Amino acid sequence: MDRLQLPQTERSPLVDFDFDRQQLRLEGESYPEDAAAFFGPLIAALDRYLERLRAEPPASALIVDLRLAYFNSSSAKAFMNIFQRLEAAARDGIEVRVNWHYQTDDETMMEFGEDFREDFQAARFELCVFD
Amino acid sequence: MPIATQYFDVHQRMRDQGVIFSFVGYVSEGILFSLGEALKQKMRLEETDANVTKRVFSIFVEQVQNIIRYSAERLHADSGTPAEMSSGLITVGRDATHFFVVCGNIVGRSEGEDLRVRLDELVRMDPDTIKSYYREKLREPPEAGSRGASIGLIEIARRSTRPIEFGLTELDADRAFFCLKAYI
Repeated sequence: MDRLQLPQTERSPLVDFDFDRQQLRLEGESYPEDAAAFFGPLIAALDRYLERLRAEPPASALIVDLRLAYFNSSSAKAFMNIFQRLEAAARDGIEVRVNWHYQTDDETMMEFGEDFREDFQAARFELCVFD
Repeated sequence: MPIATQYFDVHQRMRDQGVIFSFVGYVSEGILFSLGEALKQKMRLEETDANVTKRVFSIFVEQVQNIIRYSAERLHADSGTPAEMSSGLITVGRDATHFFVVCGNIVGRSEGEDLRVRLDELVRMDPDTIKSYYREKLREPPEAGSRGASIGLIEIARRSTRPIEFGLTELDADRAFFCLKAYI
């Protein structure tokens, strides 16, 4: 699969899905005009990729890094969709690690991280503070 | 009344109510973005606490996206492109103790009743209940035809530091004016 890369814009996050290195990165703010249109292709790619990993489990973990400053409720819904897929894959034996990066003192992003963390059992979900 | 007097009066009345800006008319996603940038800039210049700015901005985005998606007065592009403009009212301001974000738009009668039921429920919830309700809704598959509003309203209630206020006033047999005010 070809690496999926989208540049960061004022309203949508940077997306870098490096399938060969097993890394997915999202960075920035997220309140696109149409969240379904923005996240749809990413979720479709994730589905194809997880299917591939299920067929040939990799030796190392799939690493997902999220570093978001703000997102709207439609984007939160999309993140939940992504997380549910990652947790399901982890339950099937694929090692998944999600790093939720948030800036010190950012109460909203910390709270979202704590909320999302409760949905993970099989996958590892870490809160990572940065300055 | 001379026009300068007339409009200064409008201007003055708004300022007296603590209005930072107010917009009446057709809103689009482009207008949402520009007003949002102006709002963040204003709050930065006034050295507003970053967490307060985020709450205000977050409520502002959800409120305006609700107008764009649900106003009964809307214009569609003929070409079939997803350009959408919907009529409504957006006011952001600050009183002695709180920032506030008010949005209003015309809704169909049944949508209005639906909103009333949802918001009555939210108004009665305490912050912890709102938080767990949000988590529950986030996990559910989207409701048919909803375009995400149920979670948007919960987000507004959750980011408000005081209970949200809302109202509906009947315009005719089919339509009502709906408004929602949140405080931060």
